[in-house]
Amino acid sequence: MSVLLKLKKINLKYQTGKDSISVLKNINLNINKKETVSVIGESGSGKTSLIMLIGGLEKATSGKIIYNNQEITGLSEDEVSEIRKKNIGIIFQSFYLIPNYTAVENVALTLELNNFKNPEKEAKILLDRFGLKHRFNNLPSQLSGGEQQRVAIARAISMKPELILADEPTGNLDTENSIMIANILFKYVKEEGSSLIMVTHDPKLADKAKRKIKIKDGKIK
Amino acid sequence: MEKLNNPSEFCLILKYAFKDLGRNYHKIASIIVTLFISLFILSAIFTIEDSLKKELNDNAKALLGGDLEIDYNRNQGNLDLVNKVKGFATVSQMIEFSTMLSTTGREKNKSLFTRIKTVDEKYPLYGNVVYEPMGAYERMQKEPNTILINESLSKTLNIEINEIVKVQDQKFTVIGIIKSVPDVSGFVAFGDWALAGKQTLEILKLNGIGSFLNYEYKVKFNKNDKLEEIEQRIEEIFKDDQKVKLRYPENSASGIKRIINNFSQFLSLVSISAMLIAGIGIANTLLSFINQNNMSIAVRKAVGFYSGNIKTLYYLQLFILLFIITVIAYGSSFLIVPIADKYLSDGLGLNVYPVFSLLNFLKIFLVGLLVLVIFSIPTISSIDQIKASNLFRNVFQNLQFYYSKRSVVLSFVLLSILILLFTVGSEQPSYSLGYFAAFFVCLIVFFLLSKLIIFFLKKYKSSPIISLKVSIKNITQTKSITPITVMSLGLGVTLLLTLALVGTNFQREIAKSIPDIAPDYFFVGIQKGEREKFERGILNMDPNAFIEIVPMVSSGIVKINGVDPNTYIKPDNDSYWVIGSERRSSWVENIPEDNPILEGKWWDLSNPDQLQISLDAKIAKDFNIQLGDIFTLNVYGREIEGEVINFREVDYRDLSINFAMLFNPQFAKNIPHEYLATAKFNSNKFDETEMLEIMPSLSMIKIADYLSKVTAVLNKVFIAVTLISAVTIIIGLIVISSAIMVQGKVKEYQNLVFKILGFSKKQIVFSSLIEFIIIFKSVILIAIFFAVIGSKFIMENIFELVWMFDFKVLIYLGFSIGFVTLILILLTNLKYLNPKVYPLIRNQ
Repeated sequence: MSVLLKLKKINLKYQTGKDSISVLKNINLNINKKETVSVIGESGSGKTSLIMLIGGLEKATSGKIIYNNQEITGLSEDEVSEIRKKNIGIIFQSFYLIPNYTAVENVALTLELNNFKNPEKEAKILLDRFGLKHRFNNLPSQLSGGEQQRVAIARAISMKPELILADEPTGNLDTENSIMIANILFKYVKEEGSSLIMVTHDPKLADKAKRKIKIKDGKIK
Repeated sequence: MEKLNNPSEFCLILKYAFKDLGRNYHKIASIIVTLFISLFILSAIFTIEDSLKKELNDNAKALLGGDLEIDYNRNQGNLDLVNKVKGFATVSQMIEFSTMLSTTGREKNKSLFTRIKTVDEKYPLYGNVVYEPMGAYERMQKEPNTILINESLSKTLNIEINEIVKVQDQKFTVIGIIKSVPDVSGFVAFGDWALAGKQTLEILKLNGIGSFLNYEYKVKFNKNDKLEEIEQRIEEIFKDDQKVKLRYPENSASGIKRIINNFSQFLSLVSISAMLIAGIGIANTLLSFINQNNMSIAVRKAVGFYSGNIKTLYYLQLFILLFIITVIAYGSSFLIVPIADKYLSDGLGLNVYPVFSLLNFLKIFLVGLLVLVIFSIPTISSIDQIKASNLFRNVFQNLQFYYSKRSVVLSFVLLSILILLFTVGSEQPSYSLGYFAAFFVCLIVFFLLSKLIIFFLKKYKSSPIISLKVSIKNITQTKSITPITVMSLGLGVTLLLTLALVGTNFQREIAKSIPDIAPDYFFVGIQKGEREKFERGILNMDPNAFIEIVPMVSSGIVKINGVDPNTYIKPDNDSYWVIGSERRSSWVENIPEDNPILEGKWWDLSNPDQLQISLDAKIAKDFNIQLGDIFTLNVYGREIEGEVINFREVDYRDLSINFAMLFNPQFAKNIPHEYLATAKFNSNKFDETEMLEIMPSLSMIKIADYLSKVTAVLNKVFIAVTLISAVTIIIGLIVISSAIMVQGKVKEYQNLVFKILGFSKKQIVFSSLIEFIIIFKSVILIAIFFAVIGSKFIMENIFELVWMFDFKVLIYLGFSIGFVTLILILLTNLKYLNPKVYPLIRNQ
């Protein structure tokens, strides 16, 4: 299988006042195309930071990230945005929907950004696929947690990204909704052939991935 | 505000109020700044006005020059009656007149039109004349041909003590310089004047026609006399004398008081605008602050605080803040008084001192409280929207202003109190009411404009540009803050433009050159037999000079349609000056070119035995005079009735010959008269001193000198207007940025999501720019419309100056304000445009 993502000697430090906190230490990681990987570890171990680095939302202190044979660590913020816009979908524990946009508008936004001809029509198809036909014009505050996360997933996959990054996608949901979200996510990845990197505390969810990576004190164990 | 159940609960809330305020004051810095600036302006205006009025009231007798003034205006008056008063009170006689004062013995002598006041040894009955050197005033009383001149005259003509000057054909020694006289109210506040002994009139052999003579008798009662009894006794003595006017200390300095009242009313209204605009800013900042505390409010509710408790907590914090700021602002306003004192003592000879007034402090606090409560009601009420359950759902919607029926009624009542506070007791309540009405009309128009923008943009959906689409979405979304942004921006920009237009018009007035049709000189005091001598004198110096000579006669309006106008026309009437004292009138055969007839017909030649009057249209309007009304005029002691047959448009500002009243020459030519002349020269050969050699009693007013004095006064007003405008501009800008702050959190969050989804920084900035441009271009058009109307009204009605529409200035101002606001918005938005992902993702 060909490699989609390579992380070489990645270090990430945060400066908090005079102190420097080392969040990730000398991370080396390869992710193959169509591979599903779960990242587990204790709180504060560096899981979310890893996801943010891969998504280009943070800059590594040192090391290289190579996405599809292109090094992205040296790129400008806008250049990384361009890659993310077309190739990476991100799902958060707290959903991060735009509160004043309806479900359709939240999903259509990514499509519009990528110059789709009928973004709202596409968005409705996606939402319908996730059982949200009756929620098209509802604002996020009018949706349940499970529904919000389904909208967030629909938004993340709307561009059929090669890589999906999910940070505790079921962390804010009950068991029933967690199962439903996990099923949707893994079904989609399988059908579309995307890669998935998923941070989770849930062992059952972690087991669904082909590979499990454990992070402890900023290092891959 | 909510009621608290018991005192211990109140103490708990109070404790938290102090604690929260101590920790969060930096988050509401813009509330503190806007509140302080607006309360400071208000305090400064109130303090200076109060200090000035106190000075005027404390010195009312000194300003009047006595316990009572007997004013005979242009006549010497009935000396028998005056002598009767001398039997039981001290009477000081003074006569004022205007004439030329010239330097002597220099290579190039200079002359200046000067007001001279001759006083007897009893002057002043109250207060002191401040002069130098010591003993000069006493010498002036005793020694003939001595004179004291004021500082302005000394500087203008560069006259030193002991220099010889010439007044008409007499030489006087300048024996001192006057710093101030107590009775400024009846004297010249600005300009050139001098004091001389009572013997001066005899020396100069002046007569009443040519020298603007004004006779006044000041009366001082004996210490043990009962005020009312003496006043009644004097009134009884003069009851049959229609030429006399009795004035009392309470009427002293009425002109100055009127100017102070008018000006402080204008400044108060501007300051209340600043306060109301600051109020919008306060509402915005407070909403942003509550939004930031969204979660902590939800937590407080979750642990058992009632919504009412939390609202009281916020009201208490505002109340504490307001009290502290009012104390500081009111205290700081005392620092302004010495600056005002410098200007006023230079200009009016008045000294103002800081006067603490509990009433003023309470009034300022009340105004602050009313504004604060009115604008914080919808904001603090929004706390009801925050639910403890939000904590479980992790959903925190951006709060919106909340209006319940009760809060609307309460706001309306408080607003009415605020309006009453500024209207009742103001010099012109109708102006104040009109001003508030205009303010709220603007507010409503801008609100409707925001709805219109949303309505049209909702129809415009299919944009290929994502940034434009996001901007439109932001403007039109449910619970959008577009209305509040448009209202804040609209009112701020309107006020800025209005004040800027007032400022530029002021500048134009100040920089204005002499009007084209204005002559170079006015000449007064040409007697009937001197006309030819005058013309010869002028033409000998400049053969190409253009001379205009008109007859002139003094007359007073005794009755209008048989009724004494003084009984119903009040001193606050714009045209009161026409009946206040005798006026000069003239007669001409043909309609003056610059005085077109607005209503009625020119002279009826078939009726030469009847006095016909052509009246200034503004005076007719102010006095409600109709064509055909009858004026009874007093001309040299003889009462003549005349019919008003037309109204003319008179613009005194063109500085040509203008009279409030013109008579038909067929009737008037036989009245004893002198001449008024103007001359426009084609060379620099005209020499004032040489002209005075030919006609010693001639008075000359150089238009350029006159304009420079007007300019000096305008400059002082302009400084005050500019200062208050600058302060209002600062408040306006803070308010505009506060409108951005309201949506700050939402913007930050939204931009974060955009960033995650792949928006470039350029696209995010661009969408903010488009949003601003869409709103600003709509706002600026309406703001220009209101500013044009507002500035025109202020210039023409409050300052009584010319207003001119200047398209270039408007465009320049519009762009400047737009540019500055845009930069401000971008700066305010900067931290939201490119949010750091990590802290937000981590909920920090």
